[in-house]
Amino acid sequence: MTQQHADSQTEAKLSAHGITKSFDGREVLHGVSFDVRGGEFLSILGPSGCGKSTILRILIGLEQPDAGHVVLDGKDITDAAPSKRHMGIVFQDYALFENMTALENVEYALRFDPARRERRAQIALDALASLGMGDYANKPVTGLSGGQMQRVSIARTLALSPEVILLDEPTSGLDADARLALRSQLKDIQSDHGTTMIFITHDQEEAFALADRVMVMGDGSIHQMDEPLRIVENPADDYVRDFVVANLKTKYDSLARFASPLK
Amino acid sequence: MSRNNASRGTRPLEAVLLLFFLFAVVLPLVGMFSRLADPEVREVFGTEAFATACTNSLAVAAVTTVISVLAALLMSWVLCRTAIRGKGVFAVLLTVPMLVPSLAHGMSLVYLLGSNGILTNLLHGSWSIYGFPGIVMGSFLYSFPPAFLMLYDVMRYEDATPYQAADVLGIPKSSQFARITLPFLRRPLISAVFATFALVITDYGVPLMVGGKVTTLPVLMYQNAVGLLDFDTGAAIGFVLLIPAVIDFLVDVLARDRANARYVSRGFDLKPSTARDALGYVAAVLVTVALLLPIATFCTVAFVTKYPLDLTPTLANVGRAFTMGTGSYWANSLFIAIVVSILGTILAYLVAYITARAGGVSARLLHLASVTTLAVPGIVLGLSFALAFKGSPIYGTFFILILVNLVHFIASPYLMAYNSLSKVNRNLEAVGQTMGVGRARIVLDVLVPATADTIAEMFSFFFVNCMVTISAVSFLSTTLDMPLALLVTDLDAQRLVECSAFVSVLILVTNVVEKVAVAALRRHRHASTPVLQ
Repeated sequence: MTQQHADSQTEAKLSAHGITKSFDGREVLHGVSFDVRGGEFLSILGPSGCGKSTILRILIGLEQPDAGHVVLDGKDITDAAPSKRHMGIVFQDYALFENMTALENVEYALRFDPARRERRAQIALDALASLGMGDYANKPVTGLSGGQMQRVSIARTLALSPEVILLDEPTSGLDADARLALRSQLKDIQSDHGTTMIFITHDQEEAFALADRVMVMGDGSIHQMDEPLRIVENPADDYVRDFVVANLKTKYDSLARFASPLK
Repeated sequence: MSRNNASRGTRPLEAVLLLFFLFAVVLPLVGMFSRLADPEVREVFGTEAFATACTNSLAVAAVTTVISVLAALLMSWVLCRTAIRGKGVFAVLLTVPMLVPSLAHGMSLVYLLGSNGILTNLLHGSWSIYGFPGIVMGSFLYSFPPAFLMLYDVMRYEDATPYQAADVLGIPKSSQFARITLPFLRRPLISAVFATFALVITDYGVPLMVGGKVTTLPVLMYQNAVGLLDFDTGAAIGFVLLIPAVIDFLVDVLARDRANARYVSRGFDLKPSTARDALGYVAAVLVTVALLLPIATFCTVAFVTKYPLDLTPTLANVGRAFTMGTGSYWANSLFIAIVVSILGTILAYLVAYITARAGGVSARLLHLASVTTLAVPGIVLGLSFALAFKGSPIYGTFFILILVNLVHFIASPYLMAYNSLSKVNRNLEAVGQTMGVGRARIVLDVLVPATADTIAEMFSFFFVNCMVTISAVSFLSTTLDMPLALLVTDLDAQRLVECSAFVSVLILVTNVVEKVAVAALRRHRHASTPVLQ
């Protein structure tokens, strides 16, 4: 199954239509189509190498599709520059500017925006504070923990007020506590700002815990895209049943052994 | 690495850089070696002079390689595996010979061990260093520091974990050396052997000064091309000199790929050992003295009244040297070194930026073009430039000297920048693109500060090498733009040995000042930028 469009009643914020992409002669995306609703938290779940990061890079314009279109608010943005798409991206490896402090990282891009240049320090401080990083504003980012660096990276994206935030496995390198804290903050941002979020992960539990809808990918195609509960209740095929449902059940079973003592 | 939107926008720059390498490297070399198509040009290969020079070169290079690499291995072991004090000082002192031209090494040996040498007179010796022994000694001074740096850098980052595991298992130290250390050093040793061999066999500075009647291939090439203006014979010998350099290049490339995969998980915990450390001190002092004594000699000769008859200290030679034009040659060298250091650093950095961070076919071509220059000896490059640009407006100008030095020395700084830029987060430009910040701004605001130490090293490499080089520029310079290093032979030929020695001192001091200034700038930058600490 490769076409996952929003209900006709719900207006799509961002759509991918028939996206195909090859690298070195090998097709990694096979005509992928889907819609994301405004303010939605979509998790894209799949194993390594299934093409989920490539989709993200195509959506924001860092890669060009071989075929297909990307549409934002009804406008074809396939050929638009990444900075003109009103989207922001957060990478797994933070991609922070290591020669700068947390504040300098967040306000860096604002320097080049005439409308916000004067207020850049305040905007940056607000963005850092919204992620609990206000006290670390003047610290060099190289001295921060992984979770703190990722929060600076999100604040940097947030400061530019994007309509859609793309998150490329942002919790992968973090310890359990930092992952949980970041997940909660991402949900807060979504609800406070109404920002549409697309979250990539290979972790089933994380995808299901966060998302309004989950898109299950495998080998360059979408196998199922639906609300978490409906995927668990009605897996579309054996792949979804094995990769998602069985995996979640194993995790649940192992946790269930501790349920009684915890109660 | 496949191309993506993030790598768009570098294509015009890639085209310009590819054209640069085409005109400055490929065409001159192709033009020079196309002369070999003429059977008359190849006749030199059948001459006795060529056969003798070949035998001499191979013998000198083989013996020097064994001595230099063994000494480099010994000193690397002393500095990495013993608990002697002052390791940092020894490491610096052992590389000081890199700061003077190879001509100066040859010259200093004459002052020290020649028929009227200081040590010869002191010990009432009756030996002759001219010929094979002198070339080997001078070549050792010239080739030891690079061989040492190659092995020292590898041993410094060797992982101690296998040795700790071996200790736990009760494996004797001798077996540890045979089974852990030697296999670990196999590839770096092979690299060091080939690099040293190529360095020695292509050098003409040392054999020119102390070769006597023993002619090596570079000297034969120099005599034919510069002395007899027989460029065809020069080109034919140049082709032969390219062979060891190309083999070294291929070995180095193969060894480098594996070397990149190494990492350190635990450093060595060196406990004092009286016998081992005493041995280490003796070795370190002996090798350091052997390397620095010739340098100390020309530093002394530069300030004596009349070597070897009157060793009374004087500063008169300084004035005499400047009267002989040292000042203008020094200015030439400084001008060339500074311009090449600035342009070369920018050029090498731009090429490395494209190859390390943009990808694509032209990036791979640029990488190949840049590292291939490692395989071209300066003497060959210089002659190819002379043949390609003779009669053109740039011939006989500073421009051609700057260009030849740029090409001659670009490979190592390029690799420094390539390694450094490859380690910087690969998503920075992507982040910049999504935020509307251009590629050039990210380079200037983020990548340059992140790689500033490497940039300083690159600048320093170009500068020092431009100050000491003679090989590439000897075919191209005129009396108006001659670099200072070439004045060493000129003054020596006029029997102005004290002035000649002073010129070597001036080159050494200039390089030391540059090194100290760059080190101070780096220290200042680290001290004033807490982010970097």
